[in-house]
Amino acid sequence: MQSGTHPQLDETGDEWTPERMQRFFEVREFLLREANLLDQFELERWADHLTEDVEIRVPVRVARDAGSDRPEYSDSNHHLVVGHRDLLERVARLEKEYAWAENPRSRVRHTIGNVQLGEVTADTVEVFNNQVVYRERGTDGESDTISARRRSHLRETDEGFALADRDVFIDHTIVPSRNLTLPLL
Amino acid sequence: MSKAGNRAERAEELIEQTGEALDDGKHPMRIFNDDGIYERELQRIFAKTWNFIGHESELEEPGDYARRYIGEDPYIFVRDEEGELHAFYDSCCHRGAQFVRAEQGNTSHFQCPYHGWTYRNDGELTVVPYEDERYDDLDKEAASLVEAEVETYKGFVFARVVEDGPSLDEYLEEFKWYLDIALDPTEEGLTVVGEPRRVRAEVDWKVPGENFAGDSYHLAHTHGSSFELEYSSSIWERFDAAGPLSQSYSVMTDTHAGEYYLFDEEPIYMDYPEKIEDHMNSDLSERQREMFSKSMFITGTIFPNASIWHGFNPIGGPWASIRLWRPVGPGESEIVSWLLVPKELEDDEEFLERAKAGYQSLSPGGVLEADDTEVWSGISESSNSATAIERDVRADISGGLEESDAVPITDGSHGPGEVIRAGPYLDEVYARTLFNSWHEFMSEQR
Ligand code: FES
Ligand SMILES: [Fe+2]
Repeated sequence: MQSGTHPQLDETGDEWTPERMQRFFEVREFLLREANLLDQFELERWADHLTEDVEIRVPVRVARDAGSDRPEYSDSNHHLVVGHRDLLERVARLEKEYAWAENPRSRVRHTIGNVQLGEVTADTVEVFNNQVVYRERGTDGESDTISARRRSHLRETDEGFALADRDVFIDHTIVPSRNLTLPLL
Repeated sequence: MSKAGNRAERAEELIEQTGEALDDGKHPMRIFNDDGIYERELQRIFAKTWNFIGHESELEEPGDYARRYIGEDPYIFVRDEEGELHAFYDSCCHRGAQFVRAEQGNTSHFQCPYHGWTYRNDGELTVVPYEDERYDDLDKEAASLVEAEVETYKGFVFARVVEDGPSLDEYLEEFKWYLDIALDPTEEGLTVVGEPRRVRAEVDWKVPGENFAGDSYHLAHTHGSSFELEYSSSIWERFDAAGPLSQSYSVMTDTHAGEYYLFDEEPIYMDYPEKIEDHMNSDLSERQREMFSKSMFITGTIFPNASIWHGFNPIGGPWASIRLWRPVGPGESEIVSWLLVPKELEDDEEFLERAKAGYQSLSPGGVLEADDTEVWSGISESSNSATAIERDVRADISGGLEESDAVPITDGSHGPGEVIRAGPYLDEVYARTLFNSWHEFMSEQR
């Protein structure tokens, strides 16, 4: 990751061949379906599309002076780093009655935009997207909004794409919600 | 309670009632979220006590600075060119503008963005634009930055707003015996990993502070869904089998409180890599060293709002952490957490991975803390109510007050202060200790 304000997509300069366009639509569709699953709390179905070596990271963001040579997104401190096993445990946990953080379920809506392809290889596609995630909890109508840019690597498998790697660069230096559960990423 | 009373009167009454109710192990629920109480906490507690502001290792180079707060007051935590640490009130002596707009950075001078007064990073005013033309004889020395009292304990830096009061050493009193073990167990000491993590939650600062001081009672209920999972490491299962009642201890000193879990069967050194045994801090006494060797984890709260953790949990570790439940409004906090590891292990990637996994279990994204904040925020909402006043609703911290199966340790085999076995499960004296401190400061006895 570059150390600038937020992860930039380097100009790939790749030509829009019919194959690349096809890829773009497939990948975009994957991101949108995935978001729908998260919004509907279909976490087990969501977890069906993870590779076994998947890792999801949410780095801490630090407000820095303009021109600082230290990165805004910490390279040594994360709100979370989760691998495959841990993700499945989390999915199992959130389904339990006593997982207070998501019982009752948060009312969540992802709005996904600015989808751009990064590097495309034979079996892996790098894709960037921005997102605004609306979250409402409790009964008093209060809501939080978590804004982020994601960078994901999707790998082609026999059952279509699977998520192999993801950074969620949240725009906030202070997490604006009382917790960051899976459906919000 | 005067029902129509104004907020100042109400706050004073709540303070008085707390003093009386504490004898029965109670306090008015309303003190968790009340404007008048909150204002007085800032003035009578946060301005008067030693507040954790950061760790020495965060500011490596001269000029390194970080934005920190004492209560709600903005301060600049900085290392000057001579290597000295300071906490400057972030407000220009001319008209009060702020210097710092980033969380961390490096600078030799703080230049005011308003009219350009410029201060060296040791607080001295050096440049005043058009000084000769504007002033006959400006007393620049008198206009140096307002500075909090700053003292350091084992690399942990504390600051105080008022000038007079006990030294940090006196303030930490007997609790230091335990802090020595938790915060400085190895030769080279602890060092901070990365930047602190921050989250905002509708949580009163007293609630998590009290929780970290010894509330093992909540584990099965708040965290049931996490403890049922396959996470549990094999080492954790062994402890589980041994039974938490026999392993858990509460410790209370005059002002502070904590808990720790010891494993008696063999030295386990918090599940640190074995080489840690060769790097124990020689300043520790034999008893302190023995306690560290048996420790699973140690947690505690340095009154008012700095909680510590050192050890492992079913999800990962060992790791050390200090956390600040920083008040940002009635019933609301910013939770700031620092990760620390023994300097001897700071480059051990395999160890760091385990340490971070544990540390992240107590992050907003972590499986444990996600449920804590959810539960705690309900307390804020309910206690800020007319019902809490009209019906004189009280929180109950009387567990073990009249009768308790917890076992006092009086043979001197542990450290100073009041130590009880199974305290965290059977006795809420840790909470009574902290609310007692609260009451003493709020009623201005201290
Ligand atoms: S307020 Fe700082 S120079 Fe005027
Ligand atoms: Fe908890």
